[in-house]
Amino acid sequence: MSRVTRRIALGIGAAVTLALPLVLDSGQLSIYILLGLTAIVTVGLSMLMGYAGQVSLGQAAFYGIGAYTAGLLALHGWPPLIGLVAAPLAAALAALVLGVPLLRLRGHHLAFATLAMQLILLSIADNQAWMGGSIGLQGIPQLSLGSLEFDTDMSYAYVTWIALAGVVLTARNVIQSRPGRALRALATSEVAAESAGIPVGRYKLTVFALSAGFAGLAGGIYAFYLGYVSPGSFPILLSVGYVVMVVVGGLGTIWGALAGTAAVTLLVQLLNQLGTRDGVPGWLPSVLSYAVYAVLLIAVVLYLPRGIVPALVSLRRRADS
Amino acid sequence: MSGLEVSAVAKHFGGVYAVRDVSLSVADGELRGIIGPNGAGKSTLFNVISGHLAADEGAISLDGRRIERLPPHQRAGLGVSIVFQAARIFRGMTVGENVMVGAHRTTSAGFTAAALRLPAHRRDERRIAAAAHAALEMTGLSEFADRDAGTLPHGLQRSMQLARALCAEPSLLLLDEPASGLRAAEREDLIELLRKLRDTGLTIMLVEHDVALVGRLADRITVLDLGAVIAEGTPGQIRDHPQVIAAYLGAAP
Ligand SMILES: Nc1ncnc2c1ncn2[C@@H]1O[C@H](COP(=O)(O)OP(=O)(O)OP(=O)(O)O)[C@@H](O)[C@H]1O
Ligand SMILES: [Mg+2]
Repeated sequence: MSRVTRRIALGIGAAVTLALPLVLDSGQLSIYILLGLTAIVTVGLSMLMGYAGQVSLGQAAFYGIGAYTAGLLALHGWPPLIGLVAAPLAAALAALVLGVPLLRLRGHHLAFATLAMQLILLSIADNQAWMGGSIGLQGIPQLSLGSLEFDTDMSYAYVTWIALAGVVLTARNVIQSRPGRALRALATSEVAAESAGIPVGRYKLTVFALSAGFAGLAGGIYAFYLGYVSPGSFPILLSVGYVVMVVVGGLGTIWGALAGTAAVTLLVQLLNQLGTRDGVPGWLPSVLSYAVYAVLLIAVVLYLPRGIVPALVSLRRRADS
Repeated sequence: MSGLEVSAVAKHFGGVYAVRDVSLSVADGELRGIIGPNGAGKSTLFNVISGHLAADEGAISLDGRRIERLPPHQRAGLGVSIVFQAARIFRGMTVGENVMVGAHRTTSAGFTAAALRLPAHRRDERRIAAAAHAALEMTGLSEFADRDAGTLPHGLQRSMQLARALCAEPSLLLLDEPASGLRAAEREDLIELLRKLRDTGLTIMLVEHDVALVGRLADRITVLDLGAVIAEGTPGQIRDHPQVIAAYLGAAP
């Protein structure tokens, strides 16, 4: 794709996603917001997995840290804006601390360790009175900026859009740069990366913190939007879902993370709507989610091993030549 | 004290001494050949100098500065560049990008500068592009700049690693058998390039099995056997050294 057609595609994409909230009904609007928040997390995870080659099966933990940080600060009377800024910072800080031992591990070991990290954090949240225990935090006030109150779904849709645009721009800028090339380099050969002068440990930690910061930002918006958070809002299923979305969309492309997130989220929503009709048992939706994740993952690995977006790109290239 | 100074360095793996009590000094701007039979400890010595292996004993200084305790990326930062014996390429990146990574040490733009597109980022990107362009040109890889590095034939992958090392504008270049796997014409190009680099005053250490090739290029040659230095001198002196003939040349086919 030439620079010009890419610009045009980007412009159309931005215009359509900006116009959508105006025409969606309230149920669809909440899916739009959820989708945007999820994409903020998966763009960060895509940097971590697709570019730097490090897996995290605990990304929902950072989403949760952001949500709890925003919620707790707001409930203690801090202005919502402070909570929204603190959410990504707290998540990134947690990643910096936890990443020191975690990132010594690689591959499956790292995946299991991040999963364990999330389970531990969930059980802490479950048992701490100041975090609301298993009930969580309730009555979190709405987001506001001075006299500007964000009290409609529409306003949260635009807050989410702006946050996602900022995250995508940040990720793109970082990837196409000296530190971005360093991350891609260390993903395939840490030894050669070190011999080029790259401090591998520090770079891994930085991208881990960056991806956690994105997740924390999404969590912060989520807390204000829903008005309550509890340990149950951040199940392992959520972390698994993020990884599936990134892999389905295609590793090593930001657009892949966006496409994978949209495809998986919409499919799960569709099945949820079928699954929550009268007479259907309550456990069905989460079982369906797992089934969707499993089927998608297997289908992609078998038929589109590089993911949806890279497959489309090479299809286009072939059509062009 | 400029140049490289290795004093009484030892490195063992379990019970095997790969390098035992090696001392040598390489003057600024010298091209030093390192020869020795398979398993003599040549690659181990290089890895101990570059920091990818920690020395068990001994001291290493570069331009008067002790470096034996520094991690490899800091030694690279001081100008030590290594081309490994085994191909180590960054898969999924183009040849040009592989080479650009080499310029990491001469630039400084970090995550914040990149994310916000600060002037430091723009300045470094220009600098990196220029350095990579020059390194690709020198190694004859310009036409492959946009190729996926993984699809390059073996010989060109070796050249690419040399380009990456040169892109770092090193003060000490360690080359571990750079001519292995090259065809005759590529070999001559490499010799030509090494001559040119030597003439620019770059300090080079060259491990190579082809003794004739080392003899044509090196100012001095160090001979290793079983992890120890058994001889050192000019190519002429080494050729006539009885111990070398016995331990190394005599055993060669
Ligand atoms: N990582 C390692 N673990 C255990 N033993 C090793 C390791 N690396 C090297 N050795 C041993 O140390 C000795 C020196 O190996 P080294 O690779 O330095 O030799 P070399 O001179 O580079 O040989 P070649 O000409 O075959 O490349 C050999 O006996 C080798 O088996
Ligand atoms: Mg060797």
